[in-house]
Amino acid sequence: MPEDNREVLLSVRDLRVAFGSRRHRFEAVKGVSFDIHKGETFGIVGESGSGKTTIGRAIIRVYPAAAGSVTFHGKQISGELSAADRHWVTDKIQMIFQDPMASLNERAKIDYIVSEGLLGRGLGKIEIRARVAQALRDVGLLPEFATRFPHEFSGGQRQRIGIARALVMNPELIIADEPISALDVSIRAQVLNLMRKLQQERGLTYLFISHDLSVMRFICDRIAVVHKGEIVELADTETLFRRPLHPYTQALLSAIPIPNPVMERQKVLKVYDPSCHHYEGDPPVFTEVEENHFLLANYEELAKLQGRWA
Amino acid sequence: MNKRCILSVRDLHVVFRLRNRKLHALRGVNLDVYEGETIAIVGESGSGKSVLNKNFIGLLDNNGRITGGSIRYYPRIWEHLGREKDRGEDEQGEYVELAGLGRSKNWRGIRGGQVCMIPQDPMTSLNPLKTIGWQLTEALKLNRGLRGQQAYDEAIRLLEDVQIDNPEERYWQYPHEFSGGMRQRVVIAIAIACNPRILICDEPTTALDVTIQAQVLQLIREVKEKYGLTVIFITHDLGVVANVADRVAVMYAGEIVEIGRTEEVFFKPQHPYTWALLSSLPQLGTKGEDLLAIRGTPPNLFKEITGDAFAPRNPDAMLIEHLAEPPVFEVSPTHSARTWRLDPRAPESKPPRPIRKLKKLGGERDA
Repeated sequence: MPEDNREVLLSVRDLRVAFGSRRHRFEAVKGVSFDIHKGETFGIVGESGSGKTTIGRAIIRVYPAAAGSVTFHGKQISGELSAADRHWVTDKIQMIFQDPMASLNERAKIDYIVSEGLLGRGLGKIEIRARVAQALRDVGLLPEFATRFPHEFSGGQRQRIGIARALVMNPELIIADEPISALDVSIRAQVLNLMRKLQQERGLTYLFISHDLSVMRFICDRIAVVHKGEIVELADTETLFRRPLHPYTQALLSAIPIPNPVMERQKVLKVYDPSCHHYEGDPPVFTEVEENHFLLANYEELAKLQGRWA
Repeated sequence: MNKRCILSVRDLHVVFRLRNRKLHALRGVNLDVYEGETIAIVGESGSGKSVLNKNFIGLLDNNGRITGGSIRYYPRIWEHLGREKDRGEDEQGEYVELAGLGRSKNWRGIRGGQVCMIPQDPMTSLNPLKTIGWQLTEALKLNRGLRGQQAYDEAIRLLEDVQIDNPEERYWQYPHEFSGGMRQRVVIAIAIACNPRILICDEPTTALDVTIQAQVLQLIREVKEKYGLTVIFITHDLGVVANVADRVAVMYAGEIVEIGRTEEVFFKPQHPYTWALLSSLPQLGTKGEDLLAIRGTPPNLFKEITGDAFAPRNPDAMLIEHLAEPPVFEVSPTHSARTWRLDPRAPESKPPRPIRKLKKLGGERDA
């Protein structure tokens, strides 16, 4: 895949997100940088509390960035923006949430849930209705469902509604925050297939956030591994699976359940212990160790790695 | 396999009454659980896997009723279990009939003492107002009659058993001070505090991260070995099952459609539903291609089901599958499936590609 000549759609540089006031300040994201190319699926993987969701929410401006910048189509979208620019961001970047049971307003009809983003944009009723119907059809639901309430749908259908709500804005980038973790395995496949189909048809770009590397391998082109607010490794999916360099990535990979009883019984589970690094006096730097493969490591670890490869 | 049977379910039917309509949740389940094994029960939501297991600890919802069949539990020690009329003896040994126990009070001695359950979500299964130590010693008090220092010592030992660091300090902490994985460890400690023989794990890892999930699964395996438990493991994720189970039972629409040793179910699956479940796993998918998703939704159990319940969702279903209920066909002494595909008159049908991929892996090992 020719990575370098692809257009960069979203660029995150040294992004920091902090919560709390000065005395109880907690930095959830500690300076992450990555690019997302147009049309690709970029994955962020990490455990709960690693800051992966916070990164996604900072991009879509739910949380303000404490430092660093986010640029979309070459235009800065973090920090203060004019009303027109804010509208532009919400039009172009949309989000799909984890739990379809919790992310739909129980008291609103599907019609309103899906169309809410279009309101106040000077669109006529008829056009809004047409776009909602189209969005519902695109995700494999019937336009007639628009008059129903969320409780009338199953989990998989609800997640489709969540996707329709994002699609109706005609976005270029969709941030999918664990879109399938709350679903049954059989429904997962349906939703993944739908997301892939939409990507092919509309040239969508996905930022896919998950803790499950087995799903990531299936749909992501590149994956960033996040641990405690830092990206520890970033590489093409296959490179990451074949040659994981960071011990944390290796631990994550060893935890993937394999649907094969023979292999599964021989598997050795790795547990990541951060004390294996000696970062006092020799702080780690995010370095490109081979083409398109970045690793957070200090000088000593890089030297060791070089020795192993030589 | 000449292991001792610990739980035997025969033709179990459970019906729920909902707004004056009848929902046939279990439609004739047959299942033998052997002592010391780990059996996984796999199925989608609504397949009846949780309902089946609630019968084993007498926690069926109030609107549910067992309308037929039997559940026989074969205890090691006789005393205090059930009423006189619930006891009996058959070729497997002395048993207590669980299907007829009904009210809560008759369950004393069995629930907790013999059968324990780890519920799905550790966030909601612990009491947020009581310390971990209090909740652990409560179980020790009620089930084993331990008090004071004795109970404390035992609680500390249990916390160590589930690999919680600093148990003396953790004993005094509240659930909110624990992470999800740690809470699930505490729940496991409480379950084994009762010294049960059967441990039912109802999707114990779905609310957890993959890394924590792997650790909890390992812990369940270790605890099982140490305490000689029989584990019934409920899940919707066949990927997890390969890790823990000796045998796998696949449930669909209130019946067991396939059951066999784990290797048999993974490498030689027979029922189209098992095929579909396996091939929808992203681990087995080919990148850039669609996953083989199961079309449609599970059948409506308010309605009478004719034929194979999975037929409407099976694109290659034969005519007979829509018309008549398939009998159970034995593939091997330990492996059986309920599908017309296995009838000698049925035409040859090929499992989907991911299954053949798996089979190849298994074939190499068998040879």
